[in-house]
Amino acid sequence: MIDIICNFWNDLMSNEIWFYLITTLAKLVLMFAVILAFVVLSVWIERRVAGWIQDRPGPNRAGIPLFLLQRFGSKEKQPLKNVLHFFGIPETSWIAKLCTWLRLDREIPTFGLMQPCLDGGKLFLKQELTPSYVRRAYFIAAPMLVLGPPLVSAAVIPFASGVDTIYGHISMCVANIGIGPLWIFAISGLSVYGLTLAGWSSNSKYPFLGGLRATAQLISYEVAMGLSVIPLLMMFGTLNMQNIVQFQADNGWTLLPFWGEGLTLERWILLVPMLISFIVFVTCVFAEANRTPFDMAECETDLVGGYHTEYSSMKFASFFMGEYAAMVIGSALVVTLFLGGWSIGFGADAWLASVSDWLAVLCQFIVFLIKLVAFIFFFVWVRWTLPRFRWDQVMRLGWLVFFEITVANIFLTAAIMYFTK
Amino acid sequence: MELSICQLLFYILAALAILCAFAVVSFRNPVSSAMGMALCFALTAAILFGMGAQFLGIVQLIVYAGAILVLFLFVVMMLDIKDEERKTNGRCNAIAGAIVAGMLAGIIASIAIGLPGATDNPCPAKALCNSFGDLAIGQPATPATDSATPASTCSTCPAAVTPGAPLPGPETYGGPLPKIDPVASDNDTKLIGATLFSQYNIQFVILAFALLSGTVGAVALARKIRKD
Repeated sequence: MIDIICNFWNDLMSNEIWFYLITTLAKLVLMFAVILAFVVLSVWIERRVAGWIQDRPGPNRAGIPLFLLQRFGSKEKQPLKNVLHFFGIPETSWIAKLCTWLRLDREIPTFGLMQPCLDGGKLFLKQELTPSYVRRAYFIAAPMLVLGPPLVSAAVIPFASGVDTIYGHISMCVANIGIGPLWIFAISGLSVYGLTLAGWSSNSKYPFLGGLRATAQLISYEVAMGLSVIPLLMMFGTLNMQNIVQFQADNGWTLLPFWGEGLTLERWILLVPMLISFIVFVTCVFAEANRTPFDMAECETDLVGGYHTEYSSMKFASFFMGEYAAMVIGSALVVTLFLGGWSIGFGADAWLASVSDWLAVLCQFIVFLIKLVAFIFFFVWVRWTLPRFRWDQVMRLGWLVFFEITVANIFLTAAIMYFTK
Repeated sequence: MELSICQLLFYILAALAILCAFAVVSFRNPVSSAMGMALCFALTAAILFGMGAQFLGIVQLIVYAGAILVLFLFVVMMLDIKDEERKTNGRCNAIAGAIVAGMLAGIIASIAIGLPGATDNPCPAKALCNSFGDLAIGQPATPATDSATPASTCSTCPAAVTPGAPLPGPETYGGPLPKIDPVASDNDTKLIGATLFSQYNIQFVILAFALLSGTVGAVALARKIRKD
């Protein structure tokens, strides 16, 4: 029986098309799970960091209460006391006091990680209210159009290098296509339809203004965003994301050229335009994600809630999920282009790959996630530090500052590459 | 079986694109028309992806669906929708539109049929793939030396370029094309860039100036004239 299954598997994987389908499906599921988990995690990070910055605890109480244990048959009223007794620790010692301070006598601590899940549950159970004066078809389609694009655009982000199996090479990237960054720009650019249609179909004044603002802002900042990656692409010489990260693993990260060919004079002079690109690009990612200081489309002080004023329940939540997914993808893109993506650095990738391909992939995946969390933290930090811009300031920054800077930056990079070669 | 995934995908996408194009003209609500147009652009981009012209497809998405059409929508939303819905088009307009559209379709069809290899292949996408292969867009300019990895960027038509078959060289269509690494998967981007900035550089610059003059004109029209 096992032989038959093994043979079937062998035959299946030997077929090129089935091999491609199965590996792609596995990668797709993994990528999707990671993105959705990070959407939830980034909500938690946001609220904890906000609490930390504003000197308050943030959501730290939503643990798993221990009275649930009694429900499920445990007759013990005080599990903590029993555990302390089991280890022979007196109840007045500092360990017992620490445990009490951590509320271990009342609940299993999750440090507030349960909070986003409970919020999600609450939003699911809330009453769905669709006003009678909206344009129904577009009103329903708009939240989907906001949530969908960020999830699709994650397809080109490589989360580890490749593995050579006996059946063929697996590149740890759902779609290893030759237009990586452009794919993300194009697809995340489509989410503007969701915002615009939400504003328009609500058939109400403030959502409409919010939708118009979102459209204008996204289009304006897409220009600067596209132009700011051109110096990078000139250096990498490729648009394939996997090759871009491989280049950085071999020759030093874009912003930290400490090994390989990164130690040449050219790369160190190129750090100047790269740094300019980094600042412009990160700012544009903030603007594209519609977050403070750029949340003009939903700023409560001038527009009640912006484009999602009329939404409630899960439709409202999907706007927020879309926003956080866009933030996660934006962070992943910045990490991939500027901070080396999955590469561990200092030649550790090649060394690990020489030990074992799968070990290398695992370590690179973990390193990628660590970098991602670090950048999401930075994202949140900025949000709770900077005040919101005024609308005309946002437009002026996009068109009169970033546009000129990025165009000049392209020529600067070209000059440096021409004269130092 | 002759009906491959390539053909199937092409026909499905093309039929959907045509359906969306009809929706654009038949919807009364201008916003619905604009959304139909967006869908049509997206489907056209999907056809281009299927032929391996990834860069063309993504430019279609970024420029048309992502920027120009959003501006359309921007303007259309300012209109009084109820007023627009009540309007009816005269028969004259419809006939004139049909004539212009038919002429345009005829021109495009005659060009497509005139492409090398268009008539010998039952699958239009494959034929276009082949002719794009001759133009060396989206395909390796020279057949890969090791036939084990054809390195085709075309996912739906993997066997578009048969290794060994002599193709008419790209020099038939103009000046020398750059050497392309057949393994790299962003051939099509590099080729379009190299062709635009070397062979068609003058035309490119002229077009850029035409667009620039349009922009300057728009700014001149839009800005307030001071009376001092």
